[in-house]
Amino acid sequence: MTSAPVVSPAADATARARWRALTLTDPISRLVRNAAHAGIDDEAFDLRQLALAAVDLVVGSMGFAREATLDEVADDLTRLALRMRPELAHQARDVAQVVLKGLLNEAHEHRRFTYWFADLSGDQVVREPYSFRLLSLREAEYGPVLTASDQAITLFLHGLDVDIEDADRALAHVLQRQLDDRRFDAAARTAAQAERTSVGIAATLAELLDATRRDVGSHDWLVDVPDRLSAARRHVEERIAEDDRFLEHVQGGLDTETGADVRATSGRIVDLLRRVRQVHLDLEKRLVGAREVFLAAQVRQRLARRRRLRMLAVGEDVLLPTLGLPREQALEVGTAFADRALGVTVPRLVRFDDLLDQLWAPPRQRETVEPLAEDEGLDEIEEPDVQRYPPEVVAAAGEVLAVARADAAGAPLSALLDRCPDDEVAELVILTTLWAFAPDPAADSEEPDDSVELAAGLEAVDRDGAAGVLDHRLARGRDLVLRPLPAERAVTDEDERVMVGG
Amino acid sequence: MGSSSVAADLTEVRAAAELLGFGLQRRSRPVEGGDYRALLDRYRSELRFRDVVDTMAEGLGLEVLGTPRSGLVLAPEPGGPFATRLTDFRAMDQAERLVFGLVLIGIAAYAYPQDVDFDDPETKLVDLVKVDEFLRSAIDTLRAQEGGEGTPEERARAAAEVYADMPQLITTQTGRRGRGCTLKAIEDALGWLVDQGAAREATSLGPDVYQLTDRFRLLVADSAGGAALDALRALRSGGPGAAA
Repeated sequence: MTSAPVVSPAADATARARWRALTLTDPISRLVRNAAHAGIDDEAFDLRQLALAAVDLVVGSMGFAREATLDEVADDLTRLALRMRPELAHQARDVAQVVLKGLLNEAHEHRRFTYWFADLSGDQVVREPYSFRLLSLREAEYGPVLTASDQAITLFLHGLDVDIEDADRALAHVLQRQLDDRRFDAAARTAAQAERTSVGIAATLAELLDATRRDVGSHDWLVDVPDRLSAARRHVEERIAEDDRFLEHVQGGLDTETGADVRATSGRIVDLLRRVRQVHLDLEKRLVGAREVFLAAQVRQRLARRRRLRMLAVGEDVLLPTLGLPREQALEVGTAFADRALGVTVPRLVRFDDLLDQLWAPPRQRETVEPLAEDEGLDEIEEPDVQRYPPEVVAAAGEVLAVARADAAGAPLSALLDRCPDDEVAELVILTTLWAFAPDPAADSEEPDDSVELAAGLEAVDRDGAAGVLDHRLARGRDLVLRPLPAERAVTDEDERVMVGG
Repeated sequence: MGSSSVAADLTEVRAAAELLGFGLQRRSRPVEGGDYRALLDRYRSELRFRDVVDTMAEGLGLEVLGTPRSGLVLAPEPGGPFATRLTDFRAMDQAERLVFGLVLIGIAAYAYPQDVDFDDPETKLVDLVKVDEFLRSAIDTLRAQEGGEGTPEERARAAAEVYADMPQLITTQTGRRGRGCTLKAIEDALGWLVDQGAAREATSLGPDVYQLTDRFRLLVADSAGGAALDALRALRSGGPGAAA
């Protein structure tokens, strides 16, 4: 400490700390200045108050199981802005955005706010950086949530002697501190806020339960409802314990207080806290009931016989009524039906590098690819296809069928089968006869079966059982006569075939 | 204990499968009190269970990249049943694919310029226009990439050329962004990330603001990086790495 004091030793001792406290408020001034560029008039909207409210809202939720989401805070700020200038309703959301963006340091790409302190204590001036955040965004299981930094909590609760590290208990500390500080008006407001929250939960819950009684399928019982119930239970359990503690605290103060004003305010808080407590107790009762509704609904669901499609006439019971529905409802039915009908679907996931490799894959060069495909084709022929008949079976069947070809009158299938050396040949002869009886034009283009080639130039006719009855291990029924296709009808004609068949 | 092979209890296997099932469903969230949360906590705290889950994932062609608050983040083995294939995308021509890849790299570099960013749970916000500005400022860096035909560097150069040639904005008659402009390309890429659960629209902060989720952070952190990604990250951080 060779250099002279900046102001005085006592002042210097706390200068850095006081400078930091001062700096912490600067981002808010800055966002007010920046708002002017965005066309938002600071005189129309109290941006500072909105900024404070934002921190307030965020800190207020940090003690709870569910922290404030970005959207919730934005909505709340929009409502506040709207209250400030109802006639400028169109600007309210922009105002909320400007405030939130300012607190998140959007101007500097959401980095920390950084300020430089000129440390004059040494021989040389040392510029010392001071970086902090006010609000930051994090991903929680229910979406993006805002959290306030320790510095923001300090800023917001400036003057309150609370442990800023323990953010979880922030709200409880605030109320406790308000009571300790004898800031009864503020405490009353905090208590009123708690009451509103509880009433809100009670109303939502009542609605949920009513809807459930009407229609079990109306809510997602698997995930959504149990979550909401457990969140509500947690909230209520926490509150009931705290209500009692605060009541005791205020009541205790009331007994020793002598000032008339304070006694009146304290009385109001006691009334308020009693009402809150009653809401909480009612809510708790309802939650106990909710479990029963939930369980009963589950049992009902489990016992109810699942309707399967085969129990319905798809056309009359499903398709026609669906066609008659309004678009949205029909979509619901259609989606549910398609989801079940399509079976298992595999979700697709990505890996960054693989994705880029795919996207940036050099274009394929055709001339090298095609010869390869040909090679594969050659390989295939060398190895007999298990789906096809072995060549010797095809040859044997060809020999048997030659008998039918030789005579214009043809030969009955039963006679041909008698000539077959084994079942495999017989099977191919039967298939060929069937093909000759009723060719399937679609199969032509698919995998050509040997029977297709063997049937060339042949037709099979059923002469109303005139050919007798076929009784073979592999086929039974009216015998068919297989004969050469007359030359003029070699070009197959559907009509004629029908004529012959009929 | 002592034996090198670990026999898994069937109930444990079932629980592991349930956890993977939750991880595969993008909509499920490990909220307090739910089964998913309980399983996730078990994965985080029980080494043995973790092994069962990891082994099962491996068998399915998956890898657990991390377990942020939002849930299990899984990545597929290439060619596995869960891997995304190009056919899962809308039909894209060569130029569109190049730009799509470039935009993804651009978003990653813009949001996570430094390695510490990969471990920072702070959610990054990206603004469509700013990503475009960043990519345009990076064109020269990308053009300077050296590499022969078919290398990633060459692809990066090609992508940069296509990108530089595209106008920033084309509007359709209905006033929306039309195909063929870079803003639309970025919007599409971010939209795709949203579908993947890797981003979310931050509508409360403005129309073109997106927040990147932990999933995206872990996906990029898992990447081995490429010349283009490294160059863009160096450019973005503006630090000494820019020269390297």
